[in-house]
Amino acid sequence: MVKLMDIARVVRGKNAGALQLTLDVMFEDEETYRKVRDSGVLSPRLIAPLYGVTDNEVAIIPFDVAKAIKITVPRRVRSGSPGDTDVYGAQQHVPLMQIDLPD
Amino acid sequence: MPPIRLMATTGILGYGFTEEAFNAGVAMKPDLIACDAGSSDPGPHYLGSGTAFVSRAAVKRDLALMVTAGVANAIPVMIGSAGGSGSDAQVDWTLDILREICTENDLAPKVAVIRTEQSKDLLHGKLAAGKIQPLGPIGDLTDEDIDDASRIVAMMGPEAYQQALQDGADVVIAGRGTDAALFAALPLMKGADPGLSWHLAKIIECGAQVVEPREGQDCVIGTIYDDHFTVEPGHPDRRCTVTRVSAHTLYENPEPYRLKEPDGTLVTDQCRFEQVEERVVKVSGSRYEPADQYTVKLEGARPVGFRTVFVAGIRDPILIAGIDDFVKSCRQRIERDVGALGIEPADFTLSVHLYGKNAVMGELEPEADGPVHELGLLLDVLGRTEDISRAVLAKSRYAFLHTDFPGRMCISGNLAIPFSPSDMHVGAVYEFNIWHVMECDDPMECVRMEWIESEEVRSW
Repeated sequence: MVKLMDIARVVRGKNAGALQLTLDVMFEDEETYRKVRDSGVLSPRLIAPLYGVTDNEVAIIPFDVAKAIKITVPRRVRSGSPGDTDVYGAQQHVPLMQIDLPD
Repeated sequence: MPPIRLMATTGILGYGFTEEAFNAGVAMKPDLIACDAGSSDPGPHYLGSGTAFVSRAAVKRDLALMVTAGVANAIPVMIGSAGGSGSDAQVDWTLDILREICTENDLAPKVAVIRTEQSKDLLHGKLAAGKIQPLGPIGDLTDEDIDDASRIVAMMGPEAYQQALQDGADVVIAGRGTDAALFAALPLMKGADPGLSWHLAKIIECGAQVVEPREGQDCVIGTIYDDHFTVEPGHPDRRCTVTRVSAHTLYENPEPYRLKEPDGTLVTDQCRFEQVEERVVKVSGSRYEPADQYTVKLEGARPVGFRTVFVAGIRDPILIAGIDDFVKSCRQRIERDVGALGIEPADFTLSVHLYGKNAVMGELEPEADGPVHELGLLLDVLGRTEDISRAVLAKSRYAFLHTDFPGRMCISGNLAIPFSPSDMHVGAVYEFNIWHVMECDDPMECVRMEWIESEEVRSW
């Protein structure tokens, strides 16, 4: 098994507006990208508990041209509202880095 | 159609750009020099209070270079989402900076001012007519939301920019608009392909996000032809790459293939990105699907209280080992101590952030129980009034500094407080309470335009 952080080039998170968090995983080469995309490991069932949301709130969209997989989840707290810890949503990518993938 | 060239100077007015890139861009004779000043990323405070998240000095520097070159070369200069959120107060702030620039540099541009802050009467009427819907995971809008908001702006499309350009504006200072509308306006007006116009606009609106090596913000130039467009950096030593440009289509969007605009949707699933020169990327295949109904996004923020914060370090290993129980006992003590001042629990919220433990991810933290030798403590009090906020924070500081805990050896104080005064009064706090879309009968319905003639620009 390998960690996603060991085979991806970019793992980043950012607000998509004040209500949603969007996470991008990008790969250097086509082969790795396709392998991860087609492995089925990155699924709503795996992602949902990492972000405290339900399966049907997770959108996972491969974007072939950029060798990227986009994951969008609702923010649990609106950006900047009382209780938020990350107004830009820029440091919420870490749980993805630790995901195990087949070699 | 002759090629149309657009220069985006920087991702946000005030984030800066190099003069080298800017001058090289101007030498390419762009048809427009523009910059979007807006973002909702810094949070609700800026819309709520009508203030900027960049400094006045930084905006003046960027805007002065743009306006001076624009006037000298007869290139229109446009600023969208002025002041960060595009409220009337932020448009006025930007106009004041422009007046100062024009006075100091002896410039006399004709200025179009576009305002998109919305009247509450109009919004109540739209709501009653069923013309406002949630945008994403938020509840239905209520009349109370409208009344509570301190400022509400509409994100306009390209139409008002086009009218300003048609009517001969040298400089346009605009309220809230979509980032891409600022750049799509001119090519659409000149008959360029809508898919290419919107996609080019979307790619350059964040400035040097598409440039390598990435060293801060800088100018980007887009050129639109009949069946494709190109993107290149202003800076001669940098380059745009397929990786950067294609990846930018993902940036800050909930989905990469469909980007919603007021009068349609940009569709990028058939796009081709090609490295045609070392510094230049060519893009083709972008499409635009017109919408049946013209809609604008509404953004509003309402006040929720007053914030006071305090930062300190915790190094004592016995305290760190029992930190969760310690925080609990401090909370009990604080409630009791402020109760003696007549402050009820409903009058405030105290958030305790422990940096080094789980302050960033909270209960979702995957490594919550890792070893820690030092903690950053942030106390964040949100009070119903400024006085309550200050009083609760002062009691909280005292409680964390001097509350006993099992095995305590550091009996003269639990915290390393880095400076004096220790309590920071942040002021009014807001939250986004309107994040909805509104149907418009006419694209100009949500827009007000004013003109400042060139002879008035230094004196209005």
